[in-house]
Amino acid sequence: MRPTQVYSNTCNVLDAARRRVSFIFDNFEDIKVSVSGGKDSTVLAHLMLMEAKRRQRKIGVFFLDEEVVYQSTIDQVSWLIEDIAPDNVIPLWLQIEFDLTNSTSFEENHLTAWEPGKHDLWMRPKKSYAIKFAPWDREKQIIHDKNIGLNYYAVIDNFEHCYNNAAFTVGLRGTEHPNRWRAVSKNPVTIGESNIYWASPKGDNFAMYPIFDWNIHDVWKYIFEQKLRYSKIYDYMFKKGMPINEMRTSSLIHEKSFKSICELPEFEPKTYNRLVKRIKGIQFAQETGKSAKMFKARQLPKNFKSWMAYRDFLLETYPDSVNKHVFETRFARHLNNEWVARQQCRQLVLNDIGNFVPVESKPDPREELIAYYRSVL
Amino acid sequence: MIYLGYSEVDKKNIIADYRAEHGITKLVVLYPQSFPLPIDDADAVEYAEIIMYRTFYRLLQEINGDTLIVVNECLRTQNRYDLTYNCIRNFLNQTRHQLVFQYLPQIDTAEDFMILFDFATGSKWKREGFSAELIRQNAVVRVNPQAIAINQICVPTTEKTKGKYASEKEKLFAGLGAGDPHTLPRNLYLVGGADKAAAVDPFKKYVARNKRLKLDNIVTYDNVNEGDGPYTVIEFPHRFIEFGDFVKRANQTQFDVMIADLKIDQWYLERYQQWKERIDATYASLQ
Repeated sequence: MRPTQVYSNTCNVLDAARRRVSFIFDNFEDIKVSVSGGKDSTVLAHLMLMEAKRRQRKIGVFFLDEEVVYQSTIDQVSWLIEDIAPDNVIPLWLQIEFDLTNSTSFEENHLTAWEPGKHDLWMRPKKSYAIKFAPWDREKQIIHDKNIGLNYYAVIDNFEHCYNNAAFTVGLRGTEHPNRWRAVSKNPVTIGESNIYWASPKGDNFAMYPIFDWNIHDVWKYIFEQKLRYSKIYDYMFKKGMPINEMRTSSLIHEKSFKSICELPEFEPKTYNRLVKRIKGIQFAQETGKSAKMFKARQLPKNFKSWMAYRDFLLETYPDSVNKHVFETRFARHLNNEWVARQQCRQLVLNDIGNFVPVESKPDPREELIAYYRSVL
Repeated sequence: MIYLGYSEVDKKNIIADYRAEHGITKLVVLYPQSFPLPIDDADAVEYAEIIMYRTFYRLLQEINGDTLIVVNECLRTQNRYDLTYNCIRNFLNQTRHQLVFQYLPQIDTAEDFMILFDFATGSKWKREGFSAELIRQNAVVRVNPQAIAINQICVPTTEKTKGKYASEKEKLFAGLGAGDPHTLPRNLYLVGGADKAAAVDPFKKYVARNKRLKLDNIVTYDNVNEGDGPYTVIEFPHRFIEFGDFVKRANQTQFDVMIADLKIDQWYLERYQQWKERIDATYASLQ
């Protein structure tokens, strides 16, 4: 069995994480652990709940249910809340009405999760103990972008604003990507006498990342050693030979996750069946989600001579007259070259109204290179 | 520990000493196909094999605290976040016993050296750029500098070649379309080949990009044999990594290079002189 990654000369990352968890319990009355049903949040929730059990304390287990997720995710979160240490859990399972981008359809370009009146179409019934209505003051509700309404991130922010001096622990790992490392370390905080570099201020609360330095193998080793249950999706993905960085269990339809739909009929046929009935565009995304010509916009379709021509066509024929100006206004601020146009095409086919897959507007590096070679050769 | 510029014999001696000193029970050697490091009882893993599930997970199971991992000439891409490097780092995280061997300190820029530094330091400073101070404080680097010298041999070209160069240049730019702009210098560089072939000394050995000149004493970069040199360079390869491999394979640091009186030849010469200066600067900051 592989040894746990070394953190310092005196301890490994598991010991270090346990010390951090202990520190959180020593310094906060109000503690929440955010879970997604993935492997990292499973490990963090287990670490936190074991400590809560040892201290006979109760902590909140927070899950924002996007409705259109794998059934395996729901099973996993149910297990975390109901089975590990039920006496020490305050369930914070949010099943409220909010907006999700649907990248798979122009006709139905957003989904209202848990939309009232569509009970018969919901992916599944609500949990009996779920929070079914927004627990914050609607008049003070935060909306980041009026074009996209109350989205995932806005719900999280509004929910966190309901609390004061609470520790929101998150299973984010810096080793996944430098941006994540940056998110962990850019705003260290002082709690008591200690400078905490694995936390950051979040309004009146703190976001804390006790497993920020864990490697993916440390996570799986912990799951194995503690005999923890984990989402079935990982097994399916592993058997398919999918690379580690593509093994994700997040929502199925937004700008960065629509590729999951390609394998969904194979992994969870019943979930796929319900999803097809729930929202438009699913079958199309299932067939074309990995095509270089479609959502990825890596290969120019044959009937266009340039990315700029393709972009103009997509914009001209964009079917949503209400949101068309969002793209027009945004693109007017960009440079007009092939490199930028390709990224704009990607935004248009993904229907990325919220700018979650942003366009880098800069001179086309290829044109600059050709000009350079012309001058020196 | 990082060793730069050491020979195969030196490497084997260093490994043998390390094993004897630290009670190593298993030896894993990671190497690219072009630079094997044969040791009888070593688990030798070729570079392309490192990312394979059958190898990656096997090694994760087998590598423990008594394993020595030798990373031999594995600087093959400049992408610090390359999957193969990531797999190697996972192996290295399981043992404190590791030796990193590399002939030249970089493929192109000093930043490449940080890939070796990441190997030797458990990737703790993966986001840091090249810093001599950071390296000095956190890694042991033994340097046997390979000082490269480039001597220019001027080759005059005919009017016909100059005319061909001008027309070929226009043709390449006009026909580029959506193609890769780097093909422009690569293809133009071949124009002066015939004049260089006319200047070849039949009693010397030469290296060129390909076999198009059809002379027995000209080999391609892939076919250079260790100890067969010295070779005179007819044309540089476009990619620095190919020339770096040639430097190591030919065990040669002084190079006579044919330079035609065409702009492209001058461009390549300057490009390689700057490359040599970058390597010298890296050596200077590491010592």
